[in-house]
Amino acid sequence: MADTRRLQKEQTREKIVAAAIKVYSQQGFAAPTTAIAGEAQVSHGSIFVHFPTVESLLICLLDSFAQDLTAELHMLSESGGDVEKLLAMHVDVLIKYEGLYKRLTKEAVYLPEEAKNTFIAIQSTVSIHFWQALEPEISAGAIKLVPFHMLFNTWLGLIHYYLLNGDLFAPRGSVLRRYKSTLIECYMALIKK
Amino acid sequence: MKTCIACGMPMKEKADFAMGDESKDYCVHCANEDGSMHSFEEQKEAMTGFIIKTQGLAHEAAESAALSMMRKLPAWKEGLGVREKGLGVRG
Repeated sequence: MADTRRLQKEQTREKIVAAAIKVYSQQGFAAPTTAIAGEAQVSHGSIFVHFPTVESLLICLLDSFAQDLTAELHMLSESGGDVEKLLAMHVDVLIKYEGLYKRLTKEAVYLPEEAKNTFIAIQSTVSIHFWQALEPEISAGAIKLVPFHMLFNTWLGLIHYYLLNGDLFAPRGSVLRRYKSTLIECYMALIKK
Repeated sequence: MKTCIACGMPMKEKADFAMGDESKDYCVHCANEDGSMHSFEEQKEAMTGFIIKTQGLAHEAAESAALSMMRKLPAWKEGLGVREKGLGVRG
């Protein structure tokens, strides 16, 4: 009985997180919790049983995105992936969370400090794997002499620019799906000697 | 698989552990030359430096993010609130 109750509680929590990702992606982080409750088909009060504050809900869904991304990155590093594979995997995970990630790039500056720092931590995890994949090519002299953070930020800059202007580059559908190979090919051409 | 208590890095191989000692709970990057684990201040500096190197953030923003990351790690989360309030817990 206690197990069933625990399971139900976990399922409700997961439903709330999934609904929050959908609602925030569509309406932005200022969306009311009533909209999240409606999407999750739970009572409004139920949200606050699981998440005492809106900020804790936000951190939880960012952590869920981070865990997914980290798991993919570890799998790739275990298989010894190169830079292009890493960039492809990065775009694939972002496609999965495209709406949420677009909101993050657009509204991060307005988020509470803790959520902002969680977003930086996510980019930090990506940057570690980015460094591991790029380092052998830097050592081999195959990459232009540019500070590492500029190599990383240039990649993020490309991704963010296309995301933020998705209505111009891909009015219908996923801009990242449409431009994935172009972005990777052009980025590699820019950084290679 | 063990995860470093001080930085969160997964430790898959012997070489990932401090001094190659798989009984340790922290990784090679979080160890001093004598094998002891970084102090709180050393770890904060290392993580801040890493964020600046990889993402180019200003020192203040990088340090705030480093503290936020440390707050979620087993080695630091217990005493971090006290440290941040400057109540003198040793690093």
